[in-house]
Amino acid sequence: MKTKPKIILSSLICLAFLCASCSSSSNKREELSERAAQIVQGDCANDAGKEVTIYSGRSEYLISPILEAFACETGIDVRVRWGNSTDLAILINEEGKSTEADVFVSRSPGPVGFLEGNNLLGSIDQTVLSLVEKQNHAASGSWIGFSGRKRVLVYNVDQVAPNELPNSVFELTDPIYKNRVAIPATNGSFEDWFTVFRDQHGNETATKWLNDMVNNGAKYYPNNRSIVEAAGRGEVDMGLVNHYYNYQEAAALGSEHRAENYDFPSDDIGSLLIITAATILETAKDKDASNELVSYLLTPQAQSYFSNKTFEYPLAKGSKPNPILPVLEALEIGSVDFDSLGGGFEETERIVRESGILN
Amino acid sequence: MEFLTSNSLRHSQRAPLALKVIALITAFLFACPGLYLVWRNITSDSDPLGLLFSEQTLSPLMRTVNLTVLVTLSAAILGTSLAWLTIRTDLPSRRILKIILPLPLVFPTFVGAAAFIRTLNPGGLANDLVEKIGIDKTLELHGLFGAWLVLTLFTYPYVYLPVAARLKNLQSSLEESARLLGDSSWSTFRKVVLPQIASSLLAGSLLVFLYTISDFGAVQLMRYDTLTRAIWTTRLSNQPVSFALALILLSLAAIAVIIETLFSRRFRKPDMITQSEIVLTPLKKWKTPATAASWLIVFLALITPTIALGDWAADGLLREFRGGRPLFIELEDIIKPTINTAWVSMLTAIIAAAIVLPVSYLVAKYRSSIGNTANAVMTSTFAMPGLLIALSMFFWTLRTSWAAEHLRGTIVILIFAYLVRFSAQALAPARAAVASIPASLEDASQVLGASKVKRFFTVDLPVVTPGLLAGSGLVLMSTMKELPITLLVAPFEFPTLTTKIFHSFEDAFVAEGGLLALILVLLSAVLTWILVIRRSDHLA
Repeated sequence: MKTKPKIILSSLICLAFLCASCSSSSNKREELSERAAQIVQGDCANDAGKEVTIYSGRSEYLISPILEAFACETGIDVRVRWGNSTDLAILINEEGKSTEADVFVSRSPGPVGFLEGNNLLGSIDQTVLSLVEKQNHAASGSWIGFSGRKRVLVYNVDQVAPNELPNSVFELTDPIYKNRVAIPATNGSFEDWFTVFRDQHGNETATKWLNDMVNNGAKYYPNNRSIVEAAGRGEVDMGLVNHYYNYQEAAALGSEHRAENYDFPSDDIGSLLIITAATILETAKDKDASNELVSYLLTPQAQSYFSNKTFEYPLAKGSKPNPILPVLEALEIGSVDFDSLGGGFEETERIVRESGILN
Repeated sequence: MEFLTSNSLRHSQRAPLALKVIALITAFLFACPGLYLVWRNITSDSDPLGLLFSEQTLSPLMRTVNLTVLVTLSAAILGTSLAWLTIRTDLPSRRILKIILPLPLVFPTFVGAAAFIRTLNPGGLANDLVEKIGIDKTLELHGLFGAWLVLTLFTYPYVYLPVAARLKNLQSSLEESARLLGDSSWSTFRKVVLPQIASSLLAGSLLVFLYTISDFGAVQLMRYDTLTRAIWTTRLSNQPVSFALALILLSLAAIAVIIETLFSRRFRKPDMITQSEIVLTPLKKWKTPATAASWLIVFLALITPTIALGDWAADGLLREFRGGRPLFIELEDIIKPTINTAWVSMLTAIIAAAIVLPVSYLVAKYRSSIGNTANAVMTSTFAMPGLLIALSMFFWTLRTSWAAEHLRGTIVILIFAYLVRFSAQALAPARAAVASIPASLEDASQVLGASKVKRFFTVDLPVVTPGLLAGSGLVLMSTMKELPITLLVAPFEFPTLTTKIFHSFEDAFVAEGGLLALILVLLSAVLTWILVIRRSDHLA
């Protein structure tokens, strides 16, 4: 009886080693996962003897098929450390020059600004940068946007009448929205959005808006997803979130999910586009392979994956968003100044805290 | 009188040098994250003392203290009552309860709290149900109440497991005599049982305290602004503040540990332990209410979140037939993380049990100051945010090129990080267990001339084992659900169930997340049963 756990343990360890040998970066088409196989065109290339290490703040569900397809098509091995963008940026900063990361992919601009501020980012090749419009990459070449999430107002269709929907985020401080609006005040994309808000409308206006929101009973939620989920259940009437969560939630729950997205007019700060960025570290071991990886994110097959499978806006020149998404208008792109975001982040955090919304 | 003599005899015993050396090395290694934090406070011009008295720190700190005191009290009462009911009374269904009562510990709080919200909040499953019966009263879990409820339900096993282990080892003759003399069950419990389980109860409560001050998942989802949230929100935008707040948190933990150490000395050791059959207290008229109450806890802490997870998972499995999106995971996405989770957590739990023994002996038997220091270091690290432990692993391994090359991103460093974070959970019950080795038993074997090693195996180990197993069970379940360390420290391509669950919930793939979380709960039930519950029953 006593030996049983030992047997179980040792057999598990053996299994683990067996599994470790079946590495995920394969060079055979038939070994690809189903979703990666849909991206790859043609056969896998031979092993190129190169390796790229990515720290990815974009989740595995959204990006791993693309990385797998990249490994197959180029023969370059890919190692990924998955995590939260902010934590990964802090880790890269802690590792400093000896970081293993060659490429860092961030969900939102804040962590990119942080790394840029600490001089840890190298520059991306001009040929890669030219794959997107110039407002979608840093002038210095330190980052490039490859997909975008739009800020929207998610609302419960049973509790909010269409004529109640506001024309601007500024209207949300009106008494008719009292106790009805949710804000993900500590969420990365919200903080990025608010920093741009401050940048565009000035500190005073932005701070006053947030304080008015709090006085109007705006509810704090920890992240976009929990707001979309709560709006779908009717716990809260509406909330300021990124657009694609509602598509995911609706795809998952179907008609049981009672929420829809509302787009603010395109000239309103409420409909800002937030860019997901890729960067190459100053210390990247193989700059060519790293550039190859970043440019792969902008290939038609990868871009169509972002728009059709994850409902994001593709950013490569000439790529078309999913027809179910509202059309992007001119003002939305290009208004994000990453450099000001990095530095302005601390101030945003202070304003959010002092607004009292967290309490 | 006899008690006094044996105790003073014990006091004069000198601790073996080997134990002291082992404890010193362990303490030194476990101090790494704390030293890193102190170092960062110095190098980044943090001002922990200045911050301590600022409004920015004081109000979250007060909220942390409020929440923690409430959770610790309620988890202590709940855990002890459940342990007594399942071990020492004729409660019906106690066999099954023994297996399932420790399980709520396995829910990562970010999953557990999300599941609770899903079930109980407006529009959730329970509300739908209540509405159907025609009651339009919606409850919304959030803030102090929400965080208190969720944390109490998920942390009482920290008290339940060690206290249950202790109760199994206690003679029941005193209880019988007390009852025969006409004492009620309650007063028997208070006068006879409570003093004997006090050290285990205290040790378990300390774990609840440390867990609660360091919890982030539940307070975040329940929107209760505590110190951990302040550490979290400032971690990128204002690192010096974040480091300083973390140091304040760690100091709070250290204070709690020291207080516990001082208190636990005041409890006397039991004079005798019997390995004989436990005589169960009949509950009589209390049988029905006690059964109902126990199952209510199981319902709230285990079934409610499981229903939500099951609901998510079922939606995902069914929607393919309804023409919705198919599940985003393949079988390989489930098997590999499950295997990884299982063997890493088991290995961690076994090593944890081994490394806490020397320190437990030094503290509980020899009362050595080296032991106390090691104990304070190992226990208070439990309250350190996982992110900081992860960062400290990189900080220290990158000091030398040898470590950077051979340790960074390996299983060795991952397990070490887990041990640093969770060994306190094995240490607290182990200390209580060593303290409960009856002096008379030892003196007798000493007189009979048994060697130290032989005494350890024949006298000490049988007494200590249930507590040690309970402790490694706690480490096992905590390791299985650990997230921040796993994400940053694990080798590349080493998915675990929690990292998969994290990705699922992060991007609204709730069906996938629900399914994986169910597997996590099931796996932990099976492993805890095989490794802990079945064996401790067998031994007790």
